[in-house]
Amino acid sequence: MAIDERRPGSELDHLSTELRRRVAKSFGRSLHIRTVDTGSCAVCESEIRLLTAPHYDLHRLGFFFTPAPRHADLLLVTGPAVRAADNLLLKAFDATPDPKVVIAVGACALGGVYTEDELVHGSIDRVLPVDVFVPGCPPSPLALLQGLLVAVGRLEERVSALSLDLDFRAAGEA
Amino acid sequence: MTHAIAGLAIAAAGSWLAAAAAGVGATRRAGLATCTVISGLGGAAATTCGVLLAVHGAGPTLRLGAGPVGGATFHIAPLAAPFIALLGLVAVAIALYCPRYHDPAPGTAAYLLVYNLALLASLAVLIAGNVVAFLVAWETMALLCYLMILRHHRRTGVAEGAFLFIALSEVGFVMIVLAFAILATHTGSLDLVTIAARARHVHAGWRAAAYVLALCGFGFKAGLVPFHIWLPAAHPVAPADGSAFLSGLVIKLGVYGIALFGFTLLPGGPAWWGLVTMGFGAISAVLGILYALIERDLKRFLAYSSIENIGIIVTALGAGMTFTAYGQHAIGAFLLIVALYHTVNHGTYKTLLFLEAGVIEHASGTRDLDRLGGLIRRLPRTAVICLIGTVAIAALPPLNGFVSEWMLFQGLFQGFRISSHLVGILIVIAGALIALTGGLAINAFARAYGIPFLGMARSGQAANAREAQQPLAGPALLAGACVFLGIGAPLVLTALDRVARATAGIDIRSELIVPKLTVIPAHTDFSGFSPTYLAACLLAMTVVPILIFLAGRPRARSRRPPVWDGGILDFRARMQYTATTHANPVRVTFEPLYRPSVHVERASDDPAGRSGPVHYRFQVTPIFERYLYRPVIRLVQTLANLARPIQSGDVNLYLFYVFVVVVIAYAVYAL
Amino acid sequence: MAFWFYRGLRRGIATTRYPRSVDRWARDLPSPPVFHSTRLTIGLVDRLVAACPAKALSREQHELVADLGRCTGCGRCADLAYGAVRPSGEFQLAATDRAALIKRVPIRGQEEAGIGDR
Repeated sequence: MAIDERRPGSELDHLSTELRRRVAKSFGRSLHIRTVDTGSCAVCESEIRLLTAPHYDLHRLGFFFTPAPRHADLLLVTGPAVRAADNLLLKAFDATPDPKVVIAVGACALGGVYTEDELVHGSIDRVLPVDVFVPGCPPSPLALLQGLLVAVGRLEERVSALSLDLDFRAAGEA
Repeated sequence: MTHAIAGLAIAAAGSWLAAAAAGVGATRRAGLATCTVISGLGGAAATTCGVLLAVHGAGPTLRLGAGPVGGATFHIAPLAAPFIALLGLVAVAIALYCPRYHDPAPGTAAYLLVYNLALLASLAVLIAGNVVAFLVAWETMALLCYLMILRHHRRTGVAEGAFLFIALSEVGFVMIVLAFAILATHTGSLDLVTIAARARHVHAGWRAAAYVLALCGFGFKAGLVPFHIWLPAAHPVAPADGSAFLSGLVIKLGVYGIALFGFTLLPGGPAWWGLVTMGFGAISAVLGILYALIERDLKRFLAYSSIENIGIIVTALGAGMTFTAYGQHAIGAFLLIVALYHTVNHGTYKTLLFLEAGVIEHASGTRDLDRLGGLIRRLPRTAVICLIGTVAIAALPPLNGFVSEWMLFQGLFQGFRISSHLVGILIVIAGALIALTGGLAINAFARAYGIPFLGMARSGQAANAREAQQPLAGPALLAGACVFLGIGAPLVLTALDRVARATAGIDIRSELIVPKLTVIPAHTDFSGFSPTYLAACLLAMTVVPILIFLAGRPRARSRRPPVWDGGILDFRARMQYTATTHANPVRVTFEPLYRPSVHVERASDDPAGRSGPVHYRFQVTPIFERYLYRPVIRLVQTLANLARPIQSGDVNLYLFYVFVVVVIAYAVYAL
Repeated sequence: MAFWFYRGLRRGIATTRYPRSVDRWARDLPSPPVFHSTRLTIGLVDRLVAACPAKALSREQHELVADLGRCTGCGRCADLAYGAVRPSGEFQLAATDRAALIKRVPIRGQEEAGIGDR
C-alpha cells in the first residue's frame, strides 16, 4: 500500500486500521524494534535506552532492539521530522519489511513543539503513517512500555476513555 | 625421442632468431604481427620440447666445435625440462599479448629484437652443457634484459631501475664465475657432465666455497633477500610483457642455477648447505610479502610477491637438500619436485598477473591502486582472468598454487623424521614462516584484486577504462594453464617425478601418486589429497545451493527496496577503503620492521573536520639499502679514494712507474 | 561472595512488574493535568492557556481543549491554579488515534473573584 493511502484521514484508513491491528497482534511476544531519530534532543533516546536496563527489562517481554531496519518489525520514531532527515526516515521505512508498525514517541513527534516550516515537518504523521502515538516530554520508560504493548495488542489503550474532568468522571465524558 | 627433443630445441632457437630478425620490421603492424607469430611458434616448440624431455627423462648433447676455451657444448638435461617448458609457455603467452599491447614504432622494433634474442639467450642458459657456454649465455641474457628494461628510458625511474638490475646482476655474475672457476679448476674440466661426475673428489672446503658462491651469485638473479633490491626497482618500469618475462622466467634462471649446483654438480652436500638455503628462502618469503603488502604501485607489489614466491621455491630446494643429507631421500626428492612444480606454477600465474597489470595500466592509465576501482564492470573479461590468477597465487583450492603449497607444507612437516632434533625444529620453523607468508599472501592478494576491480572507481581515469582492444588471448591461455596445472596435478607431478629420478636418482612415483589420483608426500602414512577430485567436489557442491534455492523460493512476490545503506544521501568513491588503509593492520603490527617515517600535516590549525586537507605521508625505511648496501658502497669508494693518488695525471710519475717495473722485471729475470 | 550479589539476594528482584501491576511511584512522574471543571472560569482558563509553554491548552467557547500530545508535564498550569488543576499521575497515554489525545473539559465555574486564583 502506498504511503499516501495510509495517511490518517484517508478513505482506506479505517479499513486498514483493523487489519493493521490484527497483523500487529501477531508480533505479540517477539518484536524487533528499530529506533529512528529525526532530529530530537536525544532525551527520548535516553528513555528508550533505559528500556533494556534491569529495572524495566524489555527483553522479558520478548522485545529486542535491532540496528538494521531489515530485521525490524517496529519503528520507534522520535524527533519532529526535520526535513534534512527525510531521506533517512523514508529509506528506513522502505527498508523495513511489511508488516510493520510505526510508533511516534514524544511531544516533538506528535507535533507539539515545532510548527511546520521550511526546516521541519513538525510531526511524524505528516511523513509516515503512524500506528501509535506516545505523548510525553520525554515519555517515561513505563509509558514507552505501555505504548509498545498497545502497539502489539497486549494491552488495550486507555487514553480514549480518560477524562480530564475530575468533577464529572462518573458521567463518562471524554 | 632424443632426436625429437633436440630438433624441437633447435627449432625454438631458430624461431627466436628469426623472430628477432623480423622484429626489426615491427615499425609496421604487419611486421609486428609476423614477429610475434614466429616468436609464439618458437614458444610452442620450446614447451613441447620441455614436456617431452620431462616425460622421456634424458636429453641429447650437442657439441659445437672447439674454440679458445673449449668450444660450446649444449646438453639438454632433464633438470632443465620444467624451465624450458615454462619458457615456451611464457613466450607463447607474450606473443599473443604483444600485438595489442605494443604500438608499431622504432622503439618497439628495437624492443622486440632484444626480447627475442633474450628468449634465445635464456634457452641457451638452460641447455648449456659447459661452463663457457653457460657464462656467455648468462651474461648475454642479462645484458639483453637490461636493454629490455630501458624501453621507455625517458620515463622516471627507468634508468635507475635498469642500472640497479645490471649492477647487481654483474656482482652476481662475478660470484658465479668464481664458483664455476673453482669447480672447473679442481675437476680439470669445463664440461658440466664431467664436473658432476668428478665433483665428489674435490676437497670439501672448495665444494662448500663453490656452493656458497653459487647460492649468493644465483641469489642475486633470483631475488633472494638481501640480494633483492633491484627487483622492485626494475620490474615495474619495464613494459608489461617485459616485466612478465622478467618475473615469470628470468628470476627462475637463478633458481635453475641453485638447483644445478645443489642437485647436479654438487649433490650430497652436508646438511648445513640445505639449512642455509632454506634460511635464505624462508626470510625472502616473509620479507617479500611484508614489503608487498604496503605497496601502492601494482607492479611493485607484484615484484615483491615474486620475491616471496622465489623464497618459497628456494625453501623447498634447501629443505630437500637437508632431508637428503640426513638420509631421507624420498622426502628430498619430493621437495625437489615441489620446487620445480612451484617454479612452473609461479611462472604461469605471475606472468598472467603482470600481463593483466599491463592491461589495467593500458586501459585506465594508472598503476596506483589508490586511483583504481570498479574495473570489474569496465573490464569484465579481464576481471575474470585476473581472478583466476589471483586465486592461484593466493594458494586457494583447487588451483595450482594450493597444490604446490600444500605439498611444500607436507614435506616440511615431516621434519620429525630427521634424526637431529635441532635440524628438525629448524625445518618446522621454516614451515611456520612459510605458513605466515601464506596468510599474508591471501591478505595481500585480496587487496590487490579487491581494490582495483571491486567497489567504485576512485578516479576519473579508472571510471573511463575500456576493454576494447585490450589483449585477452595471452592471459586467457595462462589462466587455462593455471587451472590445468592444478586439476591435472597428478599428470604434471608424474612428469616431474621422472625429472627428479634423472636428477636425484630416486624414483618416488609410487610414493607420490597413489590410485584415485591422490598426491601423497613420499610416505603413505602421513597425508594425501586429490586435486582432481577436490575440483570435481567443489563443482558438485555448487549444485546443492542452486537446488535448494529452486525448491525453496518464496511463491509470493517480494518487494525489492534498495540495499539498506544507513540512510546516507549518496555513495562517494572516497568513502571506500583505499589500498593504504586496507593494509593498515599489517602496517601497524609490523612497524618495527618497516621503521616508517610518518608525516602528518594539516592545512590550518582549525579543529579536525574544518582544517582543510590533511596530508599523511608514510615512508618505509629501506633497511637493506641503508644498512647493507650503502656501507659496502662507501667502503668501495673509500678504497678507491685511497688508490687515487696512483693516478695523479702526472706523466713523470707514470714514467717513473714504467722505470720501476722494468727494473723489477730485470731483477726477477736475472734471479 | 561479591557484595552486590548478596545485596541483590537480600533485596529481591528489582525489575518492575509492569504490565501486571503498576508501580506506586509512577504516580509521581511528570504527567498531564486533570481539572476541576466546576472551579474553572473563563478568566482562569485564559490565564492557563497563556501560561502553557507547549501550547497544549486552548479555549473554545466554554470548553478547555487540552492536547495531551503536546503536554510536556511541566506542571506550570497546576502551579498557577493548584485548586483547579492537579497532576493526573497517569502515564498510560498511548493512543492509536491522534484525535483521542485531544480532550475537552467544559468550563463550569462562575466568574468570581478570589476563587480558583492564586
